[in-house]
Amino acid sequence: MAKIINIKNEILIRVYIVGSVLVLFALLIIGQAIRIQVFDGEKWQQMRDALVLEEIPIQAERGNIFAADGSILATALPFFDIRFDPTIVEEEIFEENVDSLARCLASINIEKTEGGWKDYLERGRRGEMQGYKHLKIKNSVDFAELERIKKFPIFNQGNRYASGLIAEERFKREKPFNSLAHRTIGRVDTGRNINIGLEGYFNNELRGESGKRLMYRLAGGDWIPVGDLTQIEPQKGKDIVTTIDINLQDITHHALYDALERQNAAHGTAIVMEVKTGAIRAIANLQQNDRGGYGELFNFGIGWRYEPGSTYKLASIMALLEDGHIELDNLIEIDSGKYQFYEETLVDSGKESFVSDTVSIRRAFEISSNVGMAKLINHFYGKNKRSAERFIQRLQSFYLHLPTGVEIKGEQKPYIKQAYNKEDLWSGTTLPWMAIGYESLMTPLQLLTLYNTVANDGLMMKPHLVSELQLFGEQVKKFPPTVVTRRIASKETIAAAKELLEGVVLRGTAAHLQSNQYRFAGKTGTAQANYHKIRGNEIHHVASFVGYFPAENPVYSCIVVVNDPKVSIYGGDVAGPVFREIADRCFETKTAFYDSMQQQSISNNNHSLLRTKELPDKNIGYRKDFESIISHLGLQHRPPTSEEWTAIVADTDSLNLQRRTVPDKQVPNVVGMGLRDAIYILENRGLEVSVQGAGKIVRQSIIPGTRIRGQQIKIYLG
Amino acid sequence: MSLGSRIQAELRGDPVIWMIVALLATFSVVIVYSSTSTLAFQYHRDNIGFFLTKHLVLLGFGLFMTYVCYLMHPMRYSKMAATLFLLAIPLLMYTLALEGQNQGRRWIEIPYVGITFQTSDFARLALIIYLAKALSITEYIRDFNSAFMPIIVPVIIICGLIAPADLSTSALLFFTCMLMMFIGRVEMKYIALLIMCGIVVIATLIILADFEVFDGIIRRDTWIERFRDYNNNEGGYQVQQSMMAIASGGFIGLGPGNSLLRNSLPNPYNDFIFSTICEEYGLFGGMIIISLFLLLLFRVARLVTNSSKGFSAMLALGLTLSMVIQALTNMAVAVNLLPVTGLNLPLVSYGGTSLVFTCISFGIILSVSKNIEKLNLEGSSLMNKK
Repeated sequence: MAKIINIKNEILIRVYIVGSVLVLFALLIIGQAIRIQVFDGEKWQQMRDALVLEEIPIQAERGNIFAADGSILATALPFFDIRFDPTIVEEEIFEENVDSLARCLASINIEKTEGGWKDYLERGRRGEMQGYKHLKIKNSVDFAELERIKKFPIFNQGNRYASGLIAEERFKREKPFNSLAHRTIGRVDTGRNINIGLEGYFNNELRGESGKRLMYRLAGGDWIPVGDLTQIEPQKGKDIVTTIDINLQDITHHALYDALERQNAAHGTAIVMEVKTGAIRAIANLQQNDRGGYGELFNFGIGWRYEPGSTYKLASIMALLEDGHIELDNLIEIDSGKYQFYEETLVDSGKESFVSDTVSIRRAFEISSNVGMAKLINHFYGKNKRSAERFIQRLQSFYLHLPTGVEIKGEQKPYIKQAYNKEDLWSGTTLPWMAIGYESLMTPLQLLTLYNTVANDGLMMKPHLVSELQLFGEQVKKFPPTVVTRRIASKETIAAAKELLEGVVLRGTAAHLQSNQYRFAGKTGTAQANYHKIRGNEIHHVASFVGYFPAENPVYSCIVVVNDPKVSIYGGDVAGPVFREIADRCFETKTAFYDSMQQQSISNNNHSLLRTKELPDKNIGYRKDFESIISHLGLQHRPPTSEEWTAIVADTDSLNLQRRTVPDKQVPNVVGMGLRDAIYILENRGLEVSVQGAGKIVRQSIIPGTRIRGQQIKIYLG
Repeated sequence: MSLGSRIQAELRGDPVIWMIVALLATFSVVIVYSSTSTLAFQYHRDNIGFFLTKHLVLLGFGLFMTYVCYLMHPMRYSKMAATLFLLAIPLLMYTLALEGQNQGRRWIEIPYVGITFQTSDFARLALIIYLAKALSITEYIRDFNSAFMPIIVPVIIICGLIAPADLSTSALLFFTCMLMMFIGRVEMKYIALLIMCGIVVIATLIILADFEVFDGIIRRDTWIERFRDYNNNEGGYQVQQSMMAIASGGFIGLGPGNSLLRNSLPNPYNDFIFSTICEEYGLFGGMIIISLFLLLLFRVARLVTNSSKGFSAMLALGLTLSMVIQALTNMAVAVNLLPVTGLNLPLVSYGGTSLVFTCISFGIILSVSKNIEKLNLEGSSLMNKK
């Protein structure tokens, strides 16, 4: 009995040993759990929050960009990427419908055939490929198509947790006017750190506040929204209303495009600014692309600096005037357009310079004499450092050293040399060359601002592209026109400057551009670029024209810069016509211009403002038709004739109507006539007429003067 | 007759153990419902209760089996011991020869029923019954002949057959057997011999894993990976999830159904159910679960105190040790005290057929307790008569 008890006790002791070990182990587990909670608790909880709950941002709808008239320049359109989780839907439904779904999918996405789709869906269902819970169906589907897709078999089983159909929404930026002002409207791509144009500058306003939705992580990597946790609704971005006039932009774009194409130029820019407000109404930037066409690839108007050349002479002469050094009628020797400054020779480009020795300063400006301007500046400011400094200060008082602050990131700062500054490589030729627009750099917009200020009688407005911010059609912030300075120069200087610019168009380098419809003022620029042959590039030219219209009561200022034109290098020939076309189209389309146009045609009666090239020449027709047309246009013709048939001959400044005899008994000369007149004349005289071609008559089958005997006559038009 | 006394009359045996079964089962239902809800959402969204229903059916069947086993006399198990043991060996071999499901070759399908079950659960039960019998036959095992062939060899065979596909179950069983031998007063040198044999078997398996024939049979790579994860402090992905869950629960927990990590925690309803418990019911809930298992251990130890060293006491103790060690291992994994094992929490986890075997074990323990009570009652009345 004792032995049994001993054995029993021994067993009990062993049981308790084992039990104690297990209790210890249990305590250890509890201790470890406490350690996890108390000492590492914070770490694990943070890890948990990062892992299990995720705040998925909900993209806010990006604001629109409007033109001044409310046309949409850029807008956000929702698009959907369609995905499918084939494992969700029930077996029977899947089996029954997979064929018809495959057929539907083949109809919307031809990447796969019907059989291909079926195979794809079935393999996905069996989990036989990567990402099978997220099968790609189609990308960038619009709302209407999404609604259609939702009606497909299987997809019509309900929400994504019932049908497996996943539509991931994203917004695509659409520009309804495509390339118009494309670069100025700009683009934002946070992923690639692209922030250009107005999209970039106003990104904070446009993008709105993205919302947040707390999502749970499901086993298997899916996310589901947490229902009872608050969700922050996204705030729609604000719309921005630009100053862009979409019609004017269209005109400007195409005028520039045509000119660049004609000239096979590298790139160009054209900006139209409203004189009174500084609002940029149009800005076109075109660069030759690989395919030989032109595209809005870089904002040359704002982000590109160049040596403006002759267009800068306005600043030089304004400095001279402002400092009282000259009067416009003072005479100056221009040495037949050739002058030696130190070791460098300055040459004029205009023909007139070669035949003139002494001209008025006014004339020197009009014919854009480099020698004249360089000599003047060198004479008055080239004495010493102090005088040079005065010139620089004067340029600075015209704000030629500061960026305009237009709402585009990446506006280039102008470069202007400091007097006698070694770092700027100041030399004896610096001042004369600065006088004619070299050794300084600025953007087209900055130069335009100077001309705009002259047009605006010295009141400098800040160039701007955006007039207000809107939210749901309500104005939330206004950007009124900003005055930079009340007056950049004296009244007299401004008046003289305007007179000079008008003179350039009336008598100077832009005389061939003038219109008899209205007057405009401006300055041509023909600058050599890369004359130091930096980086081994060829010397090329930059042709420009900058001015404003109408001259009396300026509405718009405009600059056109064409880089590396190949057909002609002169600003008057390359850039001037673009300016002219923009101005013409403004007069055609803008009622605001009619008044000033009327005034002008009266005031211009004494002048002949016709462009010879544009006049009809050697047209033959009915006299009364011609007379009514010519008088309607307010043109003059001479001498008045009484003959029924006339030929019109263009003279340099007017039209001559010449007598055209049409005999009755002989075959008349109908070459040069329109078809209607010719048939009238010939059939009245008993001839049988057959016609070939279209246009004006270029040839007739019977020689004029042949007796009429009812012959057949064939006339050729071309 | 009141309901309480009615239950007492029907369910004799240790009422505390009955209570432990009832509490664990209840806890199990609540936790499984919570932790399978996302699974249900994902795979059977029309029927959120799918997994719960499945669990309830199994649990119901399991508790029925508990009752059946409870009704049997412990000596019936003693008689079955050899048969069960001999049945276990070919079953395990057959399982290993089958193409594995999921991970490892652990399951076989019961013909015509379509239910798969883990043969190691059966083998474990069989070995413990067998060992209890072997230990009770010889009073004090001191010689090689009575130790080696009847005890060490069977343990090594069963554990060796389980080990290739399921090392942790094998180790658990091995350790349980070791403790049973220790309590059954087998001399220490034979226990040392058993350990030696165990090491030899493991070493052999590791070497054999290099041969192509055993490719996919011996899960050596998994073992290595788990030990590596364990060695690097953070314990690998699964354990990190588990620790996040424990940390987020605090002392009182997030409340029933509020687990956040069940969505990212792998197997929140079985292997890592302790983490889910700690997250929803806090450290407090976790401690209750631990206490229930420790209480079970003490109640069964009490049976041993009350009974002489016999087959039934050894059987109850062996089964209890196996369950308690498994429970503690499961929890130790969750708190990163042990490498990931894949052992579930007995009776609590959503565990399919192993739940039924746990219930059977409980039934046997209760049967033993009922019997010992009866013996004591008879013994004391005998004493009284004297």
